[in-house]
Amino acid sequence: MPIALAAPSMAAQTLGGVTDEIGVIRVPKGAPITIGGYWVISGPDTALGTDSMRGAKVAFADHGNKIAGHPINFVVEDDQCNAEGGQTAATKLASNPAIVIVLGPACSSAATPAAPILWQAGIADIGTASSAPSLTAPDRKPGYDGFLRTIPSDLGQGKADANWLYNKLGARSVVAVHDGSPYAQQLAAVMAKNFQELGGKVLSTEAVAPTDVDMHPVLTRIATEKPDAVYMPIFVAAAAQMLRQSKEVPGLEKTTFIGGGSLMAPEFIQAAGPSIVGFRIAYPDVSPSAMGKTYPKMVEEYKKMFGEAPISGYHGNAYDAAVIAINAIEKVAKTGPDGATYIGKKALRDAAFASKFDGVSGPIACGEHGDCATFHPAVYEFTSSDPSTFKIGTNPKQIYP
Amino acid sequence: MSGAVLPARQSMTLRQILHRITFVDVALWSLRILVLVVVIGGTIGTLIKSRYGSAQWVDFIVFGVTIGSIYAQVALGYTMVYGVLRLINFAHGDIMMTGAFAGYFVATGYDRSGFLASNPVTAILITMLVSVIVSTSIALIVERIAYRPFRHVRGFAPLISAIGASFFLEQTFRGLFGSSVKSYPDLHWVNPNLNVLGYNIPKMDLVVIGAAIVSMAVLYVVVNHTKMGTAIRAVSEDKEAAALMGIDVNKVVIFTFTLGGVMAGIAGVLYAFVFKQVYFYMGFTPGVKAFGAAVLGGIGNVPGAMVGGICLGLFESVGPSLFFDGIGITAPYQLRDLIAFTLLIMVLIFRPNGLFGERLAKERA
Repeated sequence: MPIALAAPSMAAQTLGGVTDEIGVIRVPKGAPITIGGYWVISGPDTALGTDSMRGAKVAFADHGNKIAGHPINFVVEDDQCNAEGGQTAATKLASNPAIVIVLGPACSSAATPAAPILWQAGIADIGTASSAPSLTAPDRKPGYDGFLRTIPSDLGQGKADANWLYNKLGARSVVAVHDGSPYAQQLAAVMAKNFQELGGKVLSTEAVAPTDVDMHPVLTRIATEKPDAVYMPIFVAAAAQMLRQSKEVPGLEKTTFIGGGSLMAPEFIQAAGPSIVGFRIAYPDVSPSAMGKTYPKMVEEYKKMFGEAPISGYHGNAYDAAVIAINAIEKVAKTGPDGATYIGKKALRDAAFASKFDGVSGPIACGEHGDCATFHPAVYEFTSSDPSTFKIGTNPKQIYP
Repeated sequence: MSGAVLPARQSMTLRQILHRITFVDVALWSLRILVLVVVIGGTIGTLIKSRYGSAQWVDFIVFGVTIGSIYAQVALGYTMVYGVLRLINFAHGDIMMTGAFAGYFVATGYDRSGFLASNPVTAILITMLVSVIVSTSIALIVERIAYRPFRHVRGFAPLISAIGASFFLEQTFRGLFGSSVKSYPDLHWVNPNLNVLGYNIPKMDLVVIGAAIVSMAVLYVVVNHTKMGTAIRAVSEDKEAAALMGIDVNKVVIFTFTLGGVMAGIAGVLYAFVFKQVYFYMGFTPGVKAFGAAVLGGIGNVPGAMVGGICLGLFESVGPSLFFDGIGITAPYQLRDLIAFTLLIMVLIFRPNGLFGERLAKERA
């Protein structure tokens, strides 16, 4: 259902017989349709973004690399999983007049500044692993009206994590650690709120910087509180330092450390070394039984295309994001009298928000604020410190449910 | 009569004084008072709360001195080069990274073969040797290619070249070895801690602190009590005059970069064995902090770099708990850089040449 939107800085336009409130894109006959993408494809969190990018490429291949009779031109920018990178990537994509729609990112830190820049240019953006609740909150700012996502909001993840910590692990006291990123900060806050509602005690919330290397002081501080668990949904480099150095700080021997979805990557095994064995991360359930019916087939195609098993867990979400984009473009694209294809930007945004289908990551049904995915919680435990053994389900193995 | 004149004079003086007070003076004094209130109030509050026992304070101090020792070793390289060339060698942190990377391949090889577990001291020494060879070679190559052409150029060109060299090294290593974080092996000590006066101190931390003290002592002796040291001091005083006295300036500069490269190589391996990760960007933050440490101690001054590094490390480690816990600031560790750099600013406000003063500042003045 179309909703009243804050208009981007673009005027209504009529082109090739198509009229749209915020502009029309013309794709000449035989020319490619350009789809943008932005993910973290460098640095310690590369696997998060590369896995998503590959998921989208598999979806394009499944559609014969064509949309509405046009070949696909996929333009990907690196957002480096931070706000500055997201802003730069979005600015580059927004300045390209051929971009029809954008996929990504994996990181909420990048999505937070990027989505409004894209929507200002009238470009809808489908997030693939950026899960911070604020991005699709009912009171989100008008700049986010063009943002939707195929990853569930962390409102569900935080609640499920609190439930697992309290009811399954038996933790009664917890320290939450974030790194100031929207993802980590909001997820830690949601978990803490739910943990307290269950009757648990949140001893403190600590913060580290993603580039911190000396975690000894903050771990010593945490050790004085004697928590049952430390909940740290932070990123690879800092999480690996926390985990390794926790073994050297007295007072944390009985404390369970648990991480978040940002750590589902072979890079984390490489960074954490032997201390990773037994470490657990809370993550959406990506076992074949929890995913869509077509997921196993998609994984086989992924392996065939890239010569290895998925390197993280968000390829299915990205595949579905690409399907939303393809279906929405095909729904609104019109052929003009000159044989060119015309796509209304607002119409495309509305078509994407109206998506409903059985995706490879599960049922996809987008709400008015852009949440399209269904959440199934799970907890995984690493079993080996050899990065080559990384395989979701084996290392780390699923221990819940 | 005189009684009536005196208050008028005093009033004039007061007015003159008030007239001379600028906005900057007010801001600086406000900053000093604010810092003092936070430091004193926070410390009293933290001690009253008694959250930390003596074991935790000892841990904070040891962790601080350890990371401070690494900053100090990197700062020694900055300070030596600055002393001789008046050049801020921004690539120095990245030269440390190159050594740490070279050491990574040796250390992981030894770990896989079991040599690191059976002969940890020999394995560390060989790792360090490889690291020193690589970092020194790269330091000399950088000097030859990126700095020497600008040696007689005034202005910002040498600085820009140094920044360019820094990016070049980072991106080259990223291209060669990937952008992921690599894990250094653990040292398999039978007992990783040493009991000192009832407190457990990690042995590796003691190695790092000891290595920094030895490095500084050796550098101090080299600079102050050897022929080459005399030449270094002469060149840093006046290059042209030193050349006229028969000193080979080129040789002195090469020797200085060699010393800096050696320090960076040792620091890189120690850093990696303590913090256990290497990646292409790892030199940037310690490099910036070590530069801060060199400035804090008095750039160009060898003992100053050492003291500056340890002060910076200590404030980073102890500061958040000591100053911020007591005034109820949550998650104080995210403010550790604020504490470190506020310290730097405060010291420079009172002592613009750093704690020990720039080595040649007094003589030049």
